[in-house]
Amino acid sequence: MTLFQDPDAVPRTAASRLADVLDAFGAVGDRAAGNAPGTARRKAAAAVSIARATGRTEDDANALYFAGLLHAVGAIGNLGLRRGNAFSDRTATMARWDFPADGARVCAGIAALPSPVADLVRWQAEAWDGTGFPDQLRWHGIPAAAQLLQLADIVARTTEPDEALVIVGGLAGRGIGPDHANAFVRWFHLTGGEVEPVAVPLDALRADATPPAPLVDLLADRIDAHNAAEGRRLRITRVADAIAERIGLAVAERDALALATRTFAAGELGHATAEHEMFDPLARLGIAERAENAAAAADLFDGNETFAHAAEILRARAAWFDGTGEPSLLHDAIPKGAQILAAAIAYDALESHHRTQIREDRTAPADRLDTAAGTQFDPAVARALLDVTKAHA
Amino acid sequence: MIELHERTRRISPSRLHEILAANDARSLVDPFMGLPTHLNYLKRHGIAVHGGDLLEWFVRVGEGIVVNDQTILRDSEVAEIVEMLPGRIYPLDAFKAWEGVFFSEEQCMYLGVWLDNVRNLRSDGQTGLAILGLWRVFCYWLQKSHAPDDMPDVPPSELAWTYIRQTESWVATNLRHNTVRSADVLTTISAQAADALFIAPPARNSFRTADARIWMWEAWWQGNPYFTIEHAYRDSLFGARSSDEQSYQRAIASVLSAAAEYPLVVLQTTERRLPEFEPLVRNARGRVEILAPDANEVYIIAKR
Repeated sequence: MTLFQDPDAVPRTAASRLADVLDAFGAVGDRAAGNAPGTARRKAAAAVSIARATGRTEDDANALYFAGLLHAVGAIGNLGLRRGNAFSDRTATMARWDFPADGARVCAGIAALPSPVADLVRWQAEAWDGTGFPDQLRWHGIPAAAQLLQLADIVARTTEPDEALVIVGGLAGRGIGPDHANAFVRWFHLTGGEVEPVAVPLDALRADATPPAPLVDLLADRIDAHNAAEGRRLRITRVADAIAERIGLAVAERDALALATRTFAAGELGHATAEHEMFDPLARLGIAERAENAAAAADLFDGNETFAHAAEILRARAAWFDGTGEPSLLHDAIPKGAQILAAAIAYDALESHHRTQIREDRTAPADRLDTAAGTQFDPAVARALLDVTKAHA
Repeated sequence: MIELHERTRRISPSRLHEILAANDARSLVDPFMGLPTHLNYLKRHGIAVHGGDLLEWFVRVGEGIVVNDQTILRDSEVAEIVEMLPGRIYPLDAFKAWEGVFFSEEQCMYLGVWLDNVRNLRSDGQTGLAILGLWRVFCYWLQKSHAPDDMPDVPPSELAWTYIRQTESWVATNLRHNTVRSADVLTTISAQAADALFIAPPARNSFRTADARIWMWEAWWQGNPYFTIEHAYRDSLFGARSSDEQSYQRAIASVLSAAAEYPLVVLQTTERRLPEFEPLVRNARGRVEILAPDANEVYIIAKR
């Protein structure tokens, strides 16, 4: 299933679409890192605000915007954060120190970004006194812009402006250089510590240098790595695509479904156990868990135009065809893409279980899934899945 | 008030690790190691590391965070470092020469107490960790003398406690043999075989302009506030013998010559000094690449 192929879509500039994909990266990164939703956007806006108030150039401000937005991308798939790692607390902490460097590597691979972004991400957690990570840089060895990004991080994580001021004051000379702490105080008095949303600096992106589709695939692969489910999105995308083809799903719907199959698992980030390991994918008992994950994934894309339609699919994927799921949509009120996604996810879980377990019940996964047609799944989708899997076999 | 340098050597171990990984290097020697936090990073990422330096406190810290695989400082042991122990007689005026010049009377007293306590620690690993933690206190004080109103007042023992406790979080094993030695460059290079040699050469005559936070801490560790690091560098390759440009270049060339057996040599410099080093490296090695992510961070990567 190829991404971004919808010829009838509202024309949008390549830069806007790329910016939306980067925004998605930022939101998923926050979830992987355990940050509050919206931290990346707030950090980006705060970084720009502080940069402007402290007389940095517009180029610096633009680089800081994207570094703030992508600050946590290294957390997605980080060894210390991923599901099922067998590390001790101590080793896991050390592994987590690598997330800025991992993030820098991701950013370095996105040619569209302003060149300083990768190193700003790399050094965003360095401390003035040399006790930060990953590189333990110290004093003026830390680029000044990276210190501003750290100030922005403090602003983004606090709920009250005064709280940020107190934290920065306490960190002066330790986490933050005294000059930077002073600059922060100046910014605080100029703005009252309030951060207004800023426009995405689209002109700073070289959109022609980075097609968005491989970026979404990269995001999906990192989500799967984080969830210890490598290759899952490929399998689910393949099945969903085949079903969509068979039932003649409209191109716009397929485009949104393609995004949804790659990002639904973001809702599971941070959970110690995968939803299909907790409950049989055909069991009613798992509805609440699936709905929670579905809503968590959909919420990540609030305000993201490129992912808006995919978010509708994500949110509705725990709905049951008979109206007894969550949300309680019935029949055609459930987006067709959501019905396909739900069936593909369930099939993949059944298939994986079937492959790895010695079972007395030898019923094929597609046949098991067919028993839920008309209740959990749209009969047309279930039939298409049965046909697709039998044809594949 | 003593000047604190704004120009600080930036060694990014995460970047260095990327270079080593790209060249399949699993072990590294750094004969100009300085404060070996970068070697600690590489060690934690599975690289066998071997460092050398002429300043003893760098080597001691290396014993704490590079050689040491498992020894940490427990709360009771940290408490025995940061405060005066009852019944022990301390040399409270050991650093009186710094009083009123760089530090307060209380700070000078603590410097004497801490030195005595650290010298009584049981292991090299613990000693190295304590020296590193206390050095950060020392740097905090010097920084605060420049910005007295901008940095919070923290009681000395509390600051020392915090910083020393923090050091133990860097202790890790990589199941490899890692070493540090107190030795001149050529000795370190020839003492150990490794896949890669990393050199970040000091600037010419840098021992005369070294950061106060570096040489004063060596003076502390030696227990002599009048100590200068010219003593340490006196007979070294990059000491007074390399004070003119030609002899400095000869010294660099001799380092590169001694490194002939290393499959990979990574020389870190700056954009400004690149023209100084690049011809020397090209003269010594067949395949040379330049990686310059930043004007202050340029790598000359040389393979055989």
